[in-house]
Amino acid sequence: MKNMFIIIQFTLREAMARKVFIFFSIITLLVLIVTLLVIGLIDMETLSGLGNHSGKELLMNEVVSALELMIVNPMASLGLLLAIFSSSSFIPTLLEKGNIDLFLSKPVSRIQLLIGKYLGVVLFVFINIFIFVLGVWLIISFKFNYWEFSFLLLSVTIIFAFAVLYSLIVLFGVLTRTSIPGMMIAYLIFIVISPLLQLYKFKFHEMISSGIIKTILDGLYYVVPQTAELMGKTMIDLAFGRGITDLQPVFTSFLFLILALTFSIFLFRKKDF
Amino acid sequence: MKVIETKGLTKVYSSSFKKNKVQALIDFNLNVEKGVIFGLLGPNGAGKTTLVKLLLGIIFPTAGNASIIEKDISDYKIKEKVGYLPENHKYPSYLKGGEVLRYFGKLSGIDGKVLDIKIDELLELVRLSKWKKTKVKAYSKGMMQRLGLAQALINDPELIFLDEPTDGVDPIGRKEIRDILVELKSRQKTIFLNSHLLSEVELITDRVGILNKGKLLREGTVKELTEKKEEYKLSLDDRNVELSGYSDENLIITKNQDASFAVKVDNIRTMNLLVDKLRRDSILIKELVLQKSTLEEMFISLINEEEKGAKQ
Repeated sequence: MKNMFIIIQFTLREAMARKVFIFFSIITLLVLIVTLLVIGLIDMETLSGLGNHSGKELLMNEVVSALELMIVNPMASLGLLLAIFSSSSFIPTLLEKGNIDLFLSKPVSRIQLLIGKYLGVVLFVFINIFIFVLGVWLIISFKFNYWEFSFLLLSVTIIFAFAVLYSLIVLFGVLTRTSIPGMMIAYLIFIVISPLLQLYKFKFHEMISSGIIKTILDGLYYVVPQTAELMGKTMIDLAFGRGITDLQPVFTSFLFLILALTFSIFLFRKKDF
Repeated sequence: MKVIETKGLTKVYSSSFKKNKVQALIDFNLNVEKGVIFGLLGPNGAGKTTLVKLLLGIIFPTAGNASIIEKDISDYKIKEKVGYLPENHKYPSYLKGGEVLRYFGKLSGIDGKVLDIKIDELLELVRLSKWKKTKVKAYSKGMMQRLGLAQALINDPELIFLDEPTDGVDPIGRKEIRDILVELKSRQKTIFLNSHLLSEVELITDRVGILNKGKLLREGTVKELTEKKEEYKLSLDDRNVELSGYSDENLIITKNQDASFAVKVDNIRTMNLLVDKLRRDSILIKELVLQKSTLEEMFISLINEEEKGAKQ
């Protein structure tokens, strides 16, 4: 366990040395400054004059949550794209000749090494995302004097979506020792496949008459990580304080994460370097 | 105590997509005792690095088994007592020299003040103290090699594997590395050295193994391997004496330019019979020396013989 912490610690150090993460931190800072300035322009008196007491409370919840989501959702998507790009090379770098030899010559098990790297990267992305979500939440909550703590859970949802995609990047990293295939597949799932499958499930499911195609698409829907749902419906539910109303995307995505990591470990333990 | 023991160790590399297989190590048997500097020699692709990687669990054997410090190589915890300097090693470029040692020191199971002291001691030993706070990406090849040696020693290992440790190091640096290895040996550390540099190996190793195409051709002390058991140099008191009459089918005597004689015999008994005859004939012997080849000569001749044998 101690070895895993050491690997996590030095993975954080490695991540900090990467320019993309610095770039993301600068963007985060800029967005927070712009948010601060724009939110400052909102006239609170107009807002507080609307509706009766209970209606006002409800309206405040709607306004605050919508504002927070408006800022966090696109930034989280951008953040995930950057995080995938920047983190895809961690495993291939570890597996380079001359580097992996050093790690494997130490009293560290291969499982500790791989999971340590995985957790280190996920933790670093989580810190970045949490700082951003916390910043937006503080600015808006101070302005409206309305404190909805469940909004902070958005950072957990976002990091969960990243952790699922990163497990796939780790798997392809171990398989191919290069970063491109894992990164491409993660992008494909995040940008194309998951949104399309979500669209099929909730909009076009009834329109398709072919039973075989339906079965295939249904199967794909449950097999492929449901990042579109996680970054969409699940986030909206949490932002509006409704909790997670549909646990299925969380369960199936988590199952995918576990399978991808287990297979990565299986391959990594057997591989010659 | 056997620090390294291999029994029938075999490694065959096979690709999933290609049918051809490469036999990197074939039925390899070796014992290395504690406190010895063992040099493994061989041309490129002989299987030297494969052997070290097998012993360290970086690759897995196809057949056979091995142990280091009396533990099976599959037990990764034994590596707490092992140091390794790989060939062409790469350190994380974002780390400074001292941080590299800290990282690998912690992974080797040492921490706190002990590690702080050890880092300073080792950087001093490899003359990198001034570079402790410089990122390794600014290091030269020789400096990287010296840092690698410090890294291999960070956990005060009992067994040290060094793969081409003087690669890229200047002559003064090489001498310093040799001195460090001799000093480690005096502290009962076992050193396993892979090298192309035969003259260097000859200077410091106690035992040598010659590996070619995955097979261990010979193993022994440098003296054992370089002695020409059937060739002597004979110097006589009288430089004008001729010995051609003493030659027969078991004994070939040729005169050297310095008036000494090269004597090739089938065995030591024949040599003694020649001495008896010379003494009987009142010929005064000034010097009789068993001829030695350099390790390099022996190595080249052995590899050439092996190549010829393979072609036939």
